[in-house]
Amino acid sequence: MESHSFIAKIEGHGNLHLDWDKNKVWLEVDEGERLFEAMVVGRPAKDLPWITSRICGVCPIAHNLAALKALEGAFGVKLSGSSLLLRRLLLAAQILQSHTLHLYFLALPDYLGIDSGINLAKTHPEHFKNALKLKQVSDLLAESVGGRGIHPTATAIGGFKKVPSKNQLIGLKKEVERLLEPAEKTAKLFSSLKYPEVKTDLVFLAQTSSIDYDVYDVKHISSSRGALGKISDYKKLITEEIRAYSTAKFGKYSGKIVTVGALSRLNLSGNLLSGKAKELYKSAGVDFQNPYHNNLAQSVEIYAFIQKVIELLNQLTKEGIDEEKTIVFSEDIKPSRKVRGIGALEAPRGGLYYEIGIDAEGLITDCNIITPTVQNLPSMEESAKAVISQQKNVGKDSVEELLEMLIRAYDPCITCSVH
Amino acid sequence: MKNKPKIAIFDFTDCEGCEVALVSLREKLVEIATETEIVNWRLAQKKADDGPYDIVLIEGTPITQTEIDTLKFLRGQTKILVGLGSCATLAGIPGIIDKEARSGWYEKIYGKDYKPRGIDALPLSAYVLVDYSIHGCPVDKSELLRVIQELLAGKTPKNPGYSVCFECKLAGNPCRLLDKKPCLGPITAGGCGAICIKGGSPCYGCFGIRQDAQVDNLVMTLRKFSDPAKIENYFSMFLKKTPEYKKLFDNKKERNGKP
Repeated sequence: MESHSFIAKIEGHGNLHLDWDKNKVWLEVDEGERLFEAMVVGRPAKDLPWITSRICGVCPIAHNLAALKALEGAFGVKLSGSSLLLRRLLLAAQILQSHTLHLYFLALPDYLGIDSGINLAKTHPEHFKNALKLKQVSDLLAESVGGRGIHPTATAIGGFKKVPSKNQLIGLKKEVERLLEPAEKTAKLFSSLKYPEVKTDLVFLAQTSSIDYDVYDVKHISSSRGALGKISDYKKLITEEIRAYSTAKFGKYSGKIVTVGALSRLNLSGNLLSGKAKELYKSAGVDFQNPYHNNLAQSVEIYAFIQKVIELLNQLTKEGIDEEKTIVFSEDIKPSRKVRGIGALEAPRGGLYYEIGIDAEGLITDCNIITPTVQNLPSMEESAKAVISQQKNVGKDSVEELLEMLIRAYDPCITCSVH
Repeated sequence: MKNKPKIAIFDFTDCEGCEVALVSLREKLVEIATETEIVNWRLAQKKADDGPYDIVLIEGTPITQTEIDTLKFLRGQTKILVGLGSCATLAGIPGIIDKEARSGWYEKIYGKDYKPRGIDALPLSAYVLVDYSIHGCPVDKSELLRVIQELLAGKTPKNPGYSVCFECKLAGNPCRLLDKKPCLGPITAGGCGAICIKGGSPCYGCFGIRQDAQVDNLVMTLRKFSDPAKIENYFSMFLKKTPEYKKLFDNKKERNGKP
């Protein structure tokens, strides 16, 4: 793998290099720097969520909402009840979109011995049908609440510029209920796959709410080894280092290598799942020492978030949306003094952090973004070392294949990691 | 049997959202993949055949030297080269950063010792001849499908001649300009269905400036209710690397904030 070919079927341009003799592995990230933290400086606050959603086309909603949370923190804006429900719905839709794309389109082909997810249409039409249904309805949810499936148009500081009608919500509920079956089949399919065997000692990290399996309304940073951290201390806790071979920084938590994403959320908050999602989790047999099981964790999460979306839609249709409090137009918001805000949420791939400074004129003075994949890069290298040392007997080609599958299992978002 | 056309899809520096839009075509993508041979697409498959190709779709901005070299190489490998999305067709969001501002920001974000890869964010057309541009941030799914189908049918696709306003009226949206809210709809090429305005946002021109657009007239209208900084803010979202932007604003001060 010492060539310039990039790993296929991951988001962005990364290449894993290895030195067999020295048992050394390094993940070269070669995505060009777009400098998002620079491009927003000097621009009005309203531009932040609009511009930074473009960091990533796979998880744009996560960036859009984290940016809005940071701005709302800075301006001291509280969301109405309906706005909060709609935000949670939108982020759940994002996780469904992203997990479906990754599991069926990027990860599954490895396990079925085919190259492209598009070929599933011919080789495994039943799986393909489930994938399309999940994709179609999660895109529809994102479009209905966010205004567009990729790069939202309807979100705004303090709420939304436009909200779905009650009839639309009722229609969505019917559609989402039809996902329960394909979602269950997805969890069972990924439980039935034969994952490569590797034992690692992963330290898990996730933002948690400790009340339920929530990803939007998070309260603290939890680690599988150590005390709860405050989100406001994110910068002290998560440090980033520069490596010559990578345009992405490498992140550590309290100086330690950690793992973020679906497997971490399940490890730290899995006990908060309820109903059928809990059953599927229990019967899935997730091995938390095996990073390949992140795929399995994502499949359980698909079911869990469909359940959550149904709950949210029930609540929204029952209570109705208070449009007066939800719809805001705040293009020219000016705080009249310097303010700062932090916005954090669990994106599909793990904890995402935004910090923003705004001057009295409402212009952005500085911006800091830490993405999930930045936190996962060191863990990917560690797990790759474990694969090499534990699978030495299978031959170089097979190990290289296992390593590509490993990187894919982490579902890295390379363009996010560079931004 | 006639050989199927060979399609290759490449991505440079960007968010990959336009490729996600391509995947969101779902059944239609399967049809395209059946009618053609997708011989190279890193995001979706390992199969990565060398050229020559019939159609190359390129998403993203060629920002590093490797990407610029690859782009020039690919031009020689394909009959038809298509830009996919605003990063490729306009430089779009990455184009917000000026070339001169980059070094200061590299130092601030990555430190003194870092060797940057990115040179400048420019559209594909800054380096090679582009046969067709599918604009949009992200591209519109039906527009994407239309262009691909026309290309496969051997037609030369054309950009819609009308502006976003035309589609905005059809969608029944209230006019932002009449409400004294800035909007670049009148000068922007249609094809998006006015999706941003439908969601309550303005048009920032991600489909590019349409032919024969009366840019000066729109600026005169905007001046009636917006200050110059606000007008520039709108034009600098996706259009910063266009000749129109340069003509309107380029004699001014430093625009990317200081690190």
